Amino acid sequence: MAHATKDLSALARTDHEVEPPLVQGGLSFHDITELVAQHTEKKTPKAWWAAFSVAFLGMLTLVAMLAYQVWNGVGVWGNNIPVGWGWPIVNFVFWVGIGHAGTLISAILFLFRQRWRTSINRAAEAMTIFAVICALIFPTFHVGRVWAIYWTLPIPNQMEMWPQFKSPLLWDVFAVSSYFIVSLVFWYVGLIPDLATLRDRAALMGRRLRAKILGFFALGWCGANRHWRNYEKVYMLLAGLATPLVLSVHSVVSFDFAVSIIPGWHTTIFPPYFVAGAIFSGFAMVVTLMVIARKAYGLENVITVDHLEKMNIIMLVTGTMVGFAYITEFFIAWYSGVPYEQYAFINRATGPYAWAYWIMMSCNLIFPQFFWIKKLRRNIPFMFVASIVVNIGMWFERFVITITSLHRDYLPSSWDYFVPTWVDVLTLIGSFGLFFTLFLLFLRFVPMVAMAEVKGVLPEADPHYYETHGDGHSRSAEVQVNRGRSS
Amino acid sequence: MAEVKANGFLGWLLDPLQSTREQAEPRYRLPEDVRIWAVPLAIGVGLLIVSLVGWVIDAHQFYFSYLVGWTFCLTLALGALFFVMIQHLTRAQWVVAVRRLPEALLWTFPALIVLFIPVLFGLHDLYHWTHPEVYDPASPEYDPILAGKRAYLNVPFFLGRIAFYFFIWTLLAYKLYTLSVRQDVDPDPSIPAQQRKVSAWGMPLYGVTVAFASYDFLMSLDPHWYSTIFGVYFFAGAFFVALGFITTCYAILARRGPLTGIVRAPHFQDLGKLMFGFTAFWAYIAFSQYMLIWYGNLPEETLWYRHRLEHGWEVLSQVLIWGHFALPFLILLPWAAKRTPLLVGTMGVWFAIIHWVDLFWVAMPVLHAEHLTFHWLDVTCWLGLFGIVVGLLFYRLSRHSLVPQNDPYLARSLALH
Repeated sequence: MAHATKDLSALARTDHEVEPPLVQGGLSFHDITELVAQHTEKKTPKAWWAAFSVAFLGMLTLVAMLAYQVWNGVGVWGNNIPVGWGWPIVNFVFWVGIGHAGTLISAILFLFRQRWRTSINRAAEAMTIFAVICALIFPTFHVGRVWAIYWTLPIPNQMEMWPQFKSPLLWDVFAVSSYFIVSLVFWYVGLIPDLATLRDRAALMGRRLRAKILGFFALGWCGANRHWRNYEKVYMLLAGLATPLVLSVHSVVSFDFAVSIIPGWHTTIFPPYFVAGAIFSGFAMVVTLMVIARKAYGLENVITVDHLEKMNIIMLVTGTMVGFAYITEFFIAWYSGVPYEQYAFINRATGPYAWAYWIMMSCNLIFPQFFWIKKLRRNIPFMFVASIVVNIGMWFERFVITITSLHRDYLPSSWDYFVPTWVDVLTLIGSFGLFFTLFLLFLRFVPMVAMAEVKGVLPEADPHYYETHGDGHSRSAEVQVNRGRSS
Repeated sequence: MAEVKANGFLGWLLDPLQSTREQAEPRYRLPEDVRIWAVPLAIGVGLLIVSLVGWVIDAHQFYFSYLVGWTFCLTLALGALFFVMIQHLTRAQWVVAVRRLPEALLWTFPALIVLFIPVLFGLHDLYHWTHPEVYDPASPEYDPILAGKRAYLNVPFFLGRIAFYFFIWTLLAYKLYTLSVRQDVDPDPSIPAQQRKVSAWGMPLYGVTVAFASYDFLMSLDPHWYSTIFGVYFFAGAFFVALGFITTCYAILARRGPLTGIVRAPHFQDLGKLMFGFTAFWAYIAFSQYMLIWYGNLPEETLWYRHRLEHGWEVLSQVLIWGHFALPFLILLPWAAKRTPLLVGTMGVWFAIIHWVDLFWVAMPVLHAEHLTFHWLDVTCWLGLFGIVVGLLFYRLSRHSLVPQNDPYLARSLALH
């Protein structure tokens, strides 16, 4: 060991490329607390109320549609007999996919020690939880008899009847519900130190009730060494558990299709390909939300363009993977020599749904490739448009997989065309209403950036920092001037 | 600034660059001992000469055994290529101390081209689709399904594709390897960005070429069968075996060799994490492929697994489940295990064995569908080719620094804790 340290002094060459700091504007520990916490403490801004009203209206639309559908039956949707799975399942896969980026950012990037995740993980995990809530609505309500949905649970009953454990739809129940619970626990564990911060601030401001409520949720956190040691271990364990979980959840969702024998559905690449697509669309949604949030909440120094660029690179990578899967599917369909398989893909590209297929192809295969250009990767208006385009493309991907494979399969006598009804459309719009209602509530009441973690990546958090930067009590004058917008 | 000169053509096949040993810091040099690379090389050549006897006795068996051994070495190089590219793309700092060996391993591709020549003689034995009678409607051997695939499965196009794959892989290997060696003698600050750039355009090309190579070399052994995930399966095995091999080499170099105190427990922990993660990844891909085919049970797909689940092959399928997944998963799970060079090094040896079993299980039932058969040629071809690859690898390592000594992140990597 002594040998190694001796080497270091000889080798301590300066870095050729100095990485830009993760947090810019020379923010101190206190600045970060101020910047993040103030939004949960001040009076609700008008813009928030405006956004919330719109979102809440959307949520009411969703509730109305679901009530209407339960009362009248699933026939109010456009589903028909060959196309038994229409928009509800498309939306389900879409929303589950959106949720995956949050877990990727919080768990997988944590395992890979990617410190840039700290600025975005809180919002991304919240997004996961709300997207999973939106997702869970669809499998619940797309059944004909929602009041019997508890039959899917293996509960001992007077009929001695159990669910069929070979059905991937049952695996979905287990996968998505455990995914929801683990994501929620993970998010909450991450929140505890920040809730303690808010509790202490509320007490200082003399807001007793607020301090009590926050104190209840902070579970008596006082940031002791022993707390932090256990906290870090738990966080690592949860990250280690959440990673296989996140991969398995979307794989299970892909099994819903891939275990069948429908041409276009039955293909072995679905599990990893769905996971890649989920990360792709999830990151697009994170970029969409972060571009708005950092502007609205003045967090440009915490969520910097470097963060957004890294997210765009992940989008580029996963988008290319998805594109590669498209090509693979197409090639193997031809290579298989199975006429049904071959027709399924010809039909996608040239049949009645060719428009959907080409929307999907251009949005997912072509658009992310613009991110090869560094200028565009760092261009905020461009990435905002691109992230929305990607999510449109990914919604269409699920639409194409679900509907084009069903509407024409083995028997030409059971070919049909699927047309969505107004209920389909309003339910989809309503699910966005629910998502944004929850997300806006989160922005209002919970610190949207993980303060404790961002402080950990500041240069001052490095134990060797003060060896070269004085005693830490006097910040330099220029930094004082450059404080972020912490007014 | 010192410039690294290119080698002559024959030397180029072994190492594209002239030796930079003199400019390497003494601590980063392999000992002068030529046995380090000559012994594995001699063993490898010896075993291949023995295999030639097998070729005279049973050419059919030889070609299959040779293909499995050759594919094993190919996956080693491909896994290392992915390893190097992904570390550049993610700007990994921890990895610098353990990056030179995979970089040197990349230059296996030119040798693999030369070693592919025996397979060319065996195309007819290996690949059923090379038989002209299957395309002849008048023949009793006529196979309409294969006739439909003829546009892809034909010898000229097959060879053209392989040439293309090797062109891409060798080009990537050349860029990544020589840039890194050049940095040893010339700390040009633009090199890291160049390495990232090569990795960026290399990565998508890598994905496509690896997938199609897996269809060509292995999937088309059973030309009626198809599976869209097969390329990912092949890649998962490749990265799996390369991680094990890299870790084992460093375990040896750090225990008894010049890298003592340079490559330390934290590096092994990170390598061990990757080994663990890709054990799980391989299992995930392998299970997905099996489960979906079992579930759908479509005759054209299921046949491939039927061949691997009867006549003794089911034993190997079980060995794969337990040996390729359960055992390494449980052993590599604890924190302490990943930090123990002896243990992860031993696991790396096991990875190599079990990965060979995996390739054997994919290829060999085509030849021995009636019962599980091990032949002595399987071992001699595999270890012969493997010995040559290892020998050439250490030959290259003996000519250059064992760590990228001017990499900007080296100090951080050495200080890893």
